[in-house]
Amino acid sequence: MSETRNNHTETSDPFEPFRAIRDKYLDAMAKSMVETVNSESYAQASGAMLEGYLTATAPLREAMDKSMAQALVQLSLPSRQEVAALAERFTHVEMRLDDMDAKLDRIEKLLGRDPPAPLPKAGKVREGSAVEKGVNPRSEPAGEGSRLGARGRFVRKRGGAKERS
Amino acid sequence: MDQAVVMDSAAGLAKRLQVFTRVVTTKAAIAQTPKELVWALNKAKLYRYTPVLPTEKRYRIPLLLIFAIMNRPSILDLRPGHSFVEFMVGQGYDVYLLDWGVPGLEDKNLKLDDYAIEYLPRAIRKMKAIAGVEEFSMLGWCIGAILTTIYAALRSEEGLRNLLLLTAPLDFSNRAGLTFARWTDEKYFDVDKVIEAFGNMPGEMIDYGAKALKPVENYIGNYCKLWDNLDDPRVVESWHAMNTWVTDNVPMAGGAYRQLIVELYRKNRLMKNELMVRGERVDLGKIRANLLTVIAEGDHITPPCQSESIMAKVGSEDKELYRIPGGHIGIMAGSAAPRTTWPHIEGWLSARSR
Repeated sequence: MSETRNNHTETSDPFEPFRAIRDKYLDAMAKSMVETVNSESYAQASGAMLEGYLTATAPLREAMDKSMAQALVQLSLPSRQEVAALAERFTHVEMRLDDMDAKLDRIEKLLGRDPPAPLPKAGKVREGSAVEKGVNPRSEPAGEGSRLGARGRFVRKRGGAKERS
Repeated sequence: MDQAVVMDSAAGLAKRLQVFTRVVTTKAAIAQTPKELVWALNKAKLYRYTPVLPTEKRYRIPLLLIFAIMNRPSILDLRPGHSFVEFMVGQGYDVYLLDWGVPGLEDKNLKLDDYAIEYLPRAIRKMKAIAGVEEFSMLGWCIGAILTTIYAALRSEEGLRNLLLLTAPLDFSNRAGLTFARWTDEKYFDVDKVIEAFGNMPGEMIDYGAKALKPVENYIGNYCKLWDNLDDPRVVESWHAMNTWVTDNVPMAGGAYRQLIVELYRKNRLMKNELMVRGERVDLGKIRANLLTVIAEGDHITPPCQSESIMAKVGSEDKELYRIPGGHIGIMAGSAAPRTTWPHIEGWLSARSR
């Protein structure tokens, strides 16, 4: 098979005759570049380049931030920082919900509920599917324990088989 | 030259260019093993892979996979037929994966502390509730190994039975052997200025840093390898999947990046048992879980010297250091992985998962 492939390559790749020369050159270059990037002078040069870039763009970034902030105020729109602060608060709320979920788990355990039922076999749940996105999770095969609600967050499973009976 | 030969060469070249362009510019379908989202917090998501074996044939102890915070964890489930996750699920493990997600501006202050003892314990609690067991195994790879090590040291009483560390950058004492340490030395690199400018460390910069360690191989040799093997669909498919993963860069939360550079790369606090995480000192001696450390002998990102010394520091009685030829990613995602690394991990875990 490899012979066939090699023959095929020879006919279809016009650069084949130069491959050995190319590889030899790349090997030499690779060794030289590894030495270069491992040197103190490379570290110094790359650090200086980054420093130069950050220093040069700082006034521009500052000016853009200021003008953008003013424009957003005029348009009565929240700034990026305000949206970020809001997102942080959402995360804190999520953590509180997770804490409550943990407490409910402990309570269920103390009440001596049955352990979760085994997973249904081989559900074809892939990333981006209804269950992955938290869309109508009850219509798809899913595991035990907590279930995802419409927002894909901590909606607990209530009423297992035993409870329903 | 015969006109037919010229035409044949031109047609062959055109076909090769077509395949090359398609593979380089499109995304392959990766991370295809069926899974279910079972928990989420902020950007972090915990997935459970759908078991393929009946309950009685499965291992009791679930396995949690933790990858780095600046790459997609899809490398653990690269493509059907060549996926560590698929392999472990097929062997009867109840496999969970914690995907850290992509940090936004609102996450710029997240530190290793948050990942290791805020997000991780919560995900573990949920996993244990779902699996209905108190014990579990955890595999940490790259920065994920730092997080799992911190967790294992600080939460040693929370049921961690088996700890697997893959190419774990834990010891930064050999500064001369670490190119990253040289580049991020305080003489040349102002980490605060970078974080102030970008908020989070941009994924492109992290990617550049990783690739610049071997620039010729990564920027030229990699494409030559594809060009030379365009006739071999297996190589093309594998290259395509790997390129899809490699080019999907994730930024690193600013706080975590700063901590990685200052407290680990510069001060080596974790290995000195000096790292403070939310007021608690991380003492590696408190790690009691069975430990398997996997070292890639040809790893230029995490050289073996960074992973070896933990063996003498941990309090685990059952511990093994496993060396394997290969690179940082290649040992788990390379073509030899299904014959070498995966069976070794599975064999080690198998004896400790009943």
